[in-house]
Amino acid sequence: MINSTAPTSEEITRDLLPQKFGTRGKIWTVSLMLISLVGVFAYYRQLKYGLEVTHMRDYVSWGIYISNFVFFVAISLVGSLITAIFRLANVKWSTPLTRIAEIIAVSAIVFASIIIIVDMGRPERFMNLFIHGRIQSPIMWDVIVIGTYFFISCLLLYFPLLPDLKILIRFKDQTGKALNRLYRFQGSFWKGTKAQSRISRKSIHILCIIIIPVAFCIHTVTSWLFATTYRPGWDSTNFGAYFISGAFLVGAGGVVVAMYVFRKVYKLENYITIKHFDKMGKIVVLLALLYLYFNVNEYLVPAFKMKKPEAEHLTELFLGEYAPVFWFAILVGMIIPILILVFKKGRRPLPMFIAGSMVVVGAWFKRYLIVTPTLLHPFLPMQEVPQSFHRYFPSWEEWAIAMGSLAGALLVITFFARIYPIIPIQETITEQNGKDEHS
Amino acid sequence: MNIHRFLFLLLALMITVVIRVEAQKDSVEQKEIVRLHYFNSNNSLQYLLLESILKTGKKSEPQKHKVFKIFLDSDKVENHITKVLTDEYGKAKAVIPVSLKPIWDGASSHTFIVVAEATSKEEETSSEFTITKSKIAIDTSSAEDAKSITVRVMKLNNGEWVPAKDVEMKIAVLRLGGLLQVGDEESYTTDSTGTATAEFKKAGLPGDQQGNLILSARVEDNDELGNLSIEKSVPWGIATKPDNNFFAQRTLWSTRFKTPIWLLLMAYSIGIGVWGTLIYLVGQIIKIKKLGDHFMDGSSQPPM
Repeated sequence: MINSTAPTSEEITRDLLPQKFGTRGKIWTVSLMLISLVGVFAYYRQLKYGLEVTHMRDYVSWGIYISNFVFFVAISLVGSLITAIFRLANVKWSTPLTRIAEIIAVSAIVFASIIIIVDMGRPERFMNLFIHGRIQSPIMWDVIVIGTYFFISCLLLYFPLLPDLKILIRFKDQTGKALNRLYRFQGSFWKGTKAQSRISRKSIHILCIIIIPVAFCIHTVTSWLFATTYRPGWDSTNFGAYFISGAFLVGAGGVVVAMYVFRKVYKLENYITIKHFDKMGKIVVLLALLYLYFNVNEYLVPAFKMKKPEAEHLTELFLGEYAPVFWFAILVGMIIPILILVFKKGRRPLPMFIAGSMVVVGAWFKRYLIVTPTLLHPFLPMQEVPQSFHRYFPSWEEWAIAMGSLAGALLVITFFARIYPIIPIQETITEQNGKDEHS
Repeated sequence: MNIHRFLFLLLALMITVVIRVEAQKDSVEQKEIVRLHYFNSNNSLQYLLLESILKTGKKSEPQKHKVFKIFLDSDKVENHITKVLTDEYGKAKAVIPVSLKPIWDGASSHTFIVVAEATSKEEETSSEFTITKSKIAIDTSSAEDAKSITVRVMKLNNGEWVPAKDVEMKIAVLRLGGLLQVGDEESYTTDSTGTATAEFKKAGLPGDQQGNLILSARVEDNDELGNLSIEKSVPWGIATKPDNNFFAQRTLWSTRFKTPIWLLLMAYSIGIGVWGTLIYLVGQIIKIKKLGDHFMDGSSQPPM
């Protein structure tokens, strides 16, 4: 913390208690709700008229929805990075970021599940996956692993929240009656006894261990949905590692953006400090370099050989119709953030926020590029098909649903920050007391 | 001053070039091309395929959703075959109705009249296509080491069937996705007896379960006869046995009831391991709750 005199437990509690929405907060929330409602209306149209309202056809049967799904799955991986890996590695500075990372993970995985159902032409048949599902299918593995990851993320969010719920219950006057009832329902039994704390610590430790392989599975399996399909651009043994490195990058970028926004809005400068931005900046650089390395592998090797079907796909990406988006994703999603964050001045809050936003936006377009251009270049030539099958640009319904899902995920994060402390109060107090004892 | 003069000349030159380019654009003629193809398959199924193209300079594009009327021999109402609408490739299919059988049987050759209806932009246009009635037959002979295919094309001339000579055709074996030529030559031509003979040189071709192959003879876009085709099944291939066992094995591509054992073991052990741990953790929450409730009931255990 940057204060010369360390804050007391009461001050920390007061600073970190959830705050009511101000005018900006209300405008932000209403805007997100409106965008989500437009998305819901577009989905109503899709249910009424069928998938025909989208511009997906026989060849591009995975469009913006699946790009969005991959993006959500990718960003959800940050929960395992910040919470689990850092906790197990005993990295103390990440404490104020753990809850931000976990809530991003939970909201992203919820909307990943929703968007995959949106992509189904007949959502009422979803249960058939379980009734008639084949365990041989990577789609089945994805469904199982997403459900598991969601459950683990919820538990990892809940266990560290228990001590904070006890504090929140105490501050009934500030939080309000309705919220107090919710806090009591969720954690009135937490008394902070030694036995309870021991069980909680042990459970969090187990969760941190178990979430890492599950998180790796979730994105590896998502990558296999592509890699097990014989297509130019997807036919790669590198896809699991390529997807995971990209997921860590976008997740870290998302946390950086959230750190900046929460710090600014809730005035958390004493808790999310310049030091946190500096350290996160270094992590983002490392992850961006790693992802860039996998990108070089993914594109340079096939481009060196230029096998005929791959050549058509790669030429479209490098020089053709998709070149502006491709180079935008590479430059804005990786190279420019690296150039900003590699310098100490670039790792200050505002440049970090800009770089983090670039990473997230670039990552979204990167997912679009992974899905769509490949589908437009099948191995067998496209013959005797309507002209609309040769191109793909999402319809307004697809855009509305995709943007609505992004707004929905942000809305979940917003409401969470309104209801619960976005920085763990008890952990911060414990760490502060530990520091005081050492000093 | 010199610069101004130069700029003025440049401007004048540019205007001239633009005017010339625009004038050339205007002078590019548009030409509407209508083609009608007559098809006779196995001497039984007859249909017409209409193709409409708009040629602008060197560029050709199909005329989509255009209406045409097709007549047989005369553009009277009683000779009306059908009214068609072209699809997005500028094509439309038509079948000669049974009601026109007397007219069809009454002559050796017929003229199809295609009329494009007048619209607000275009006047009514008419095109004619003449075909001679014909028939095609296929025969095979098989000795120990030589197999041959004989195709005979006859045309109707003044009510009599006469050999159609110099008719070019393909003689091939029907395979999935296309035609495989039976011998070394790509096409064959009928002689004065209307006959074309091809030697079958594709020994060892896989056939159906009985070893049958389908031979096909096709006359394509002949000016006089149109498109003729005939097929015949011959036992010249090698019998293939379907692999009924294919889906009965435990493989990654079989049904859910035939999942490989190793995959089941892996999936269930991972599932049980992970979900077992998660259930244990839910149990820990219940344990924490019980400890809390017990504390509320008056336990003396001190809080942390």
